[in-house]
Amino acid sequence: MSPTLSLFYFLSFLTVLSALMVVFARSPIHSVLYLILTFFCLSGHYILLNAQFLAAVNIIVYAGAIMVLFLFVIMFLNMKKEDEESKTNLTKVAAVIVAGTLGVILVGAFRKSQVGTYNPYAHDSQVGMVESLGHMLFREYLLPFELISILFLVAMTGAIMLGKREVGERHF
Amino acid sequence: MYPIVLLSVLGIVVLFLGFMKSKSVLLPATLLFLVLALASNFIDWNQGKVLYFYEMLAVNNLTLAFNAIVLVSAFMIVAMTRGFQDQEEAQPAEYYGIMLFSLVGAFMIIGYEHLIMLFVGIEILSVSMYILTGSDKSNLRSNEAALKYFLMGAFATGIMLFGIALLYGATGSFNLTDIQSYVSIQGRGVSYILYAGLLLLLIGMLFKVSAAPFHFWTPDVYDGAPTIFTTFMSTIVKTAGFAAIFRLLSHSFTPIYSFWWITLAAITVLTLLVGNIIAVYQNSFKRMLAYSSISHAGYLLIAVTSLSPQTENAILFYSLAYSIATISAFGVLMLVSKKKALEGQVDESYAAFNGLAAQNPLLAFVLAVSMLSLAGIPLTAGFWGKFFVFGSAVERGLVWMLVVAVLMSAVGIYYYFRAIIAAYLKEGDIGKIRIAPFYRIILVVATAMTILFGLAPGIFEKLL
Repeated sequence: MSPTLSLFYFLSFLTVLSALMVVFARSPIHSVLYLILTFFCLSGHYILLNAQFLAAVNIIVYAGAIMVLFLFVIMFLNMKKEDEESKTNLTKVAAVIVAGTLGVILVGAFRKSQVGTYNPYAHDSQVGMVESLGHMLFREYLLPFELISILFLVAMTGAIMLGKREVGERHF
Repeated sequence: MYPIVLLSVLGIVVLFLGFMKSKSVLLPATLLFLVLALASNFIDWNQGKVLYFYEMLAVNNLTLAFNAIVLVSAFMIVAMTRGFQDQEEAQPAEYYGIMLFSLVGAFMIIGYEHLIMLFVGIEILSVSMYILTGSDKSNLRSNEAALKYFLMGAFATGIMLFGIALLYGATGSFNLTDIQSYVSIQGRGVSYILYAGLLLLLIGMLFKVSAAPFHFWTPDVYDGAPTIFTTFMSTIVKTAGFAAIFRLLSHSFTPIYSFWWITLAAITVLTLLVGNIIAVYQNSFKRMLAYSSISHAGYLLIAVTSLSPQTENAILFYSLAYSIATISAFGVLMLVSKKKALEGQVDESYAAFNGLAAQNPLLAFVLAVSMLSLAGIPLTAGFWGKFFVFGSAVERGLVWMLVVAVLMSAVGIYYYFRAIIAAYLKEGDIGKIRIAPFYRIILVVATAMTILFGLAPGIFEKLL
């Protein structure tokens, strides 16, 4: 087993484990911390896949900014009370069946399909660098790149519109 | 392509017009911008298939016709807002700006050639809708609807993205034409990941058009949102969503029709049953229209499932007929419910229409025609819409599905006629409702179009 392969297995194990812990952890703060660990593991995968820029952005944006937001929200919500919303057994069974079916489909699809092979001679070590990414973004992907700014504009307008304070009372 | 660029810029212009002291310029400006976009839409008319921006966007007569339907519906809906003058808390500049931006998203998913355009377009459309749903900030039901729509929509987007990733894993491309050539070369021997990816992508898209197992958000969101934005959601999002689904399946996945038609047929039948049967039990007219929009998604899905040469015309005509009828029905509802409002609480039940015909013959007539069209009674556009849809199913030989659809349209007649009966036969104390001149014109034009297309559906086919 080559060092890269063993590193891949180690990272995958860690990713799956920390992702499971996000779901199973009792305290929401622990969940968030495990989520950060998951993001770091994913960044490791990006580096193994030769996408260095993506790895850095993933850490800065997700593990940094988004997680701070998560922590803020959890602090505001004040989830100290242990009143978990209880679901009926019927809901639980239905959820297990639905998720299990999807799991079976996905596992079956992955087991039966050929994974693409890798050609070491066509390897370009620069493919994940900012320069080649910029070339892609401003040439082939120019239109979606520009239109994403419309998406952000809509989101910002909406945030300001919904967040603005109003006089008057609520009604039903 | 031109309306996308134009509306992206003009949406920003509308936002800046909001800085002006007088808010009355916003409505005419927005209407003018929509007309400009409609005019620019037809620059590419009859050019054949044109690809723009490194094969990101495809333009042909079909996509232009869908764009035109979306723009005409948007024009009518914006004209009915009357500048939000009677609402103190309204922020018209933001509303109009977001509406124009959401149209950009609609054009993107109508003409996408690359899956990233589909994703960005659906996101622009959905995020705008989440915001507009929650725009009535002091109303708790509107807040709940927005949050519910946002959470469920975010999950649907996640599922869709996973599907796109799997499709890329199987085919090595995001481009619809490349995927099509991969599928047609491999035939039924395609990678199994492709099947999983296609299913997940379809689930994400069917969520947006509220097909049956993914419809649970629809009644609450349509009911909670301000009526004007409910109209926007139920016409524009549905038209664009079906254009997108049809484009994906007809362009890329025809060679594996035998794989996906069973799934889609099951969803179609479920959608028809759920939409029509639950609509019968509603007491609120607005909630009934929400379920009716689910059932119309079912009829449109029949056309997509049968995927015959007629399908594109059928979907086009059906979306047009459905959009016009829905706009006029909601238009009447907005006037009536405002008239019958009690302590800021609008009355949206069937009973609100009681005795409408006595003092307001025009409104009652508009309501009756739109209900007849939605029910699919002859001499209205809705009849021909159903006729074309059923015709494409016959061509594919899906007779059993037609039986279900015809039975369900019979169920539909019951709940659509309840509104007509309330308006014409029941006694009520509804007074004379004052209608603004422009509002009246829109209602009359929508009704006239419904009857015109009902008498002569051939006009429409000649246009294309």
